[in-house]
Amino acid sequence: MSALDHPQVESSLEGFLRQVRPRLKSLFAHFRIPPQDTEDILQQALLALIYHREAIRDEEAWLLGTLRNKCLLYWREQRRKLYDSVDATVLEVMADPVAPAQEGDDRHRDLTLALERLPERCRSLLWLRYRQGYDPPELAERLGYSPASISKVTTRCLAALTRQLIGAGVCRRKAG
Amino acid sequence: MSLRHPKPDALEQFVLGRLGSSEMREIARHLLAGCRRCQDVTETLWEPVEAFEAPPDFAAAETANDAHRDGYDIVLDRVFERILATGSQLAEQRSVGRRLYEELLQCPAERRHLLLANSQRFRNRMLCERLIEGSSEACFEDPRRAIEIGRLAVLAGDQLAVGECGGDEGLAGLTTRAWAHLGNAFRISVDLASAETAFDKAEALLNEGSVTLIEKAKVLSLLASWRKEQQRFGEAAQILDRAAAIYKKLGQWSLLGRTLLQKALICGEAGDGEGEMKLLRQALDLIDPQADPRLFLAARHNLINALNEAGRVREAFALLYHTRPLYLQAGDRMNLLKLRWLEGVVAFGLKRIDQAEAAFREVRDSFRDLGLDYDAALAALDLAGVYILQGRPADVSRVAEETLATFQSYNTHREAIAALLVFSNAARMNQAGLELVREVSDLLKRTRKHFNFHPAQPS
Repeated sequence: MSALDHPQVESSLEGFLRQVRPRLKSLFAHFRIPPQDTEDILQQALLALIYHREAIRDEEAWLLGTLRNKCLLYWREQRRKLYDSVDATVLEVMADPVAPAQEGDDRHRDLTLALERLPERCRSLLWLRYRQGYDPPELAERLGYSPASISKVTTRCLAALTRQLIGAGVCRRKAG
Repeated sequence: MSLRHPKPDALEQFVLGRLGSSEMREIARHLLAGCRRCQDVTETLWEPVEAFEAPPDFAAAETANDAHRDGYDIVLDRVFERILATGSQLAEQRSVGRRLYEELLQCPAERRHLLLANSQRFRNRMLCERLIEGSSEACFEDPRRAIEIGRLAVLAGDQLAVGECGGDEGLAGLTTRAWAHLGNAFRISVDLASAETAFDKAEALLNEGSVTLIEKAKVLSLLASWRKEQQRFGEAAQILDRAAAIYKKLGQWSLLGRTLLQKALICGEAGDGEGEMKLLRQALDLIDPQADPRLFLAARHNLINALNEAGRVREAFALLYHTRPLYLQAGDRMNLLKLRWLEGVVAFGLKRIDQAEAAFREVRDSFRDLGLDYDAALAALDLAGVYILQGRPADVSRVAEETLATFQSYNTHREAIAALLVFSNAARMNQAGLELVREVSDLLKRTRKHFNFHPAQPS
């Protein structure tokens, strides 16, 4: 079917897209989403909009609210990759059997220093993880968390550790 | 520590989480080893997350000109083109979905499942959407049909692939809603075990996290009704708070109003009259009477009732006076009956007994004509209250006998029949007071949703 078969539907949607276009660009710029990563975010939100158009009362508010949320999720996902790589690296480093004794001691000292600057809850969780090799279900049981919440708590603690070890916050994109 | 420092670009990609896992680990190891120089570089790439919490300044951003703008333009052009193409096909897809729905429901029940499971033609997103809608529409008219259509919706959703729904989100949203509506149909049919199973499934899908916010809010709203049914009022209120937060985030004020209206009902059922009235007033501020007149009327109706229940009869009367045009505007018989009933209730509160009697009598008879015997029984109990105040014991006794006989003919719900027996005996002995009438009426209102009010089938 050609788009011309529904000129009214198309023109109303087209008008709406034209109207929100500057705001979409501003929103992506505000959240510093790289252009190449905006495509999926925008397409998913707009598909949801056209499928649920009848239930949505204020389309612009809905679209901007949805995109704001998706941008935050985008950064959360990016940060998770970072935390996961820090986690995997710490596990790897602490378990490295070929490290010379002095180097091994230094690593333990560095990690201990970093852990000591974390809140008590994170300190005990990460200590069990890195020094005693507990996996998430064991951590949940030992520390009294539900299996569903241990992943969130671990992510929060890893975030705190990453901040200690590397820096704080999310990336500031360079222009260009 | 590795002596080879990563390039600044690689550090930036690392902070963005955009490198492959081995490169990510390599840089993490380098930074963890304490390379001050590289740590200083990464420091410049970071800024606090809180910067995103502030709303974007659109006016300033629109005039700004940064290097990404052209990049955004290219992406927006591409996405808009695809969306416009999809949008223009949507009306046709909806009409195909409706045709398939009609065709499916005309088949014998046992063949419907076979068709959905085996026929490629019935693998259609819009058919699934229409089935969800159909289940929801049938809920109050014919709960058994709502369950059957709800089951078909779940099956139709299970047959679909991600690509047929425009991505993970589309499919996850559809299947989650299908399960939630099936749970809702079970809830209304008082099949509590099946409702629990269906809502568990919907909740599990919701927790997987790929459902759009608007769909999540819809499912949460159904889930809250289920928690209310289970008398888990605190949880129901918390779930509605989550839905309300989503609508707020999305700027959907009217839907936020609807959610507050739902939460007000929970407060009412939990006996928190003040909380109920507060929420109803907030809901009324948010619901647009032009865009959603029925919802606005429902909120006003509930507020008048709540005011009356709280003994603030004059306020209820004043609000009823201002709301009457809305009932008349709605114009359908049920809304006009609700108006007349409320007029009776408020007149009773104002001790205008003759007016109350006329209203209750009219409402009872109309419900009987419509075959809505449960509502007729409730109106009859209100009428009995009038007769008690008028000192007409014979009429009280007659109303009690009639109501009891109606319930006995349906042979359902022992608790209600037992209460009506007590009332009937008390009336016969001229000992039925207003308090007893109120207790029986409250019990019938509470148990109404568990009531299968159809003529008893021979066993």
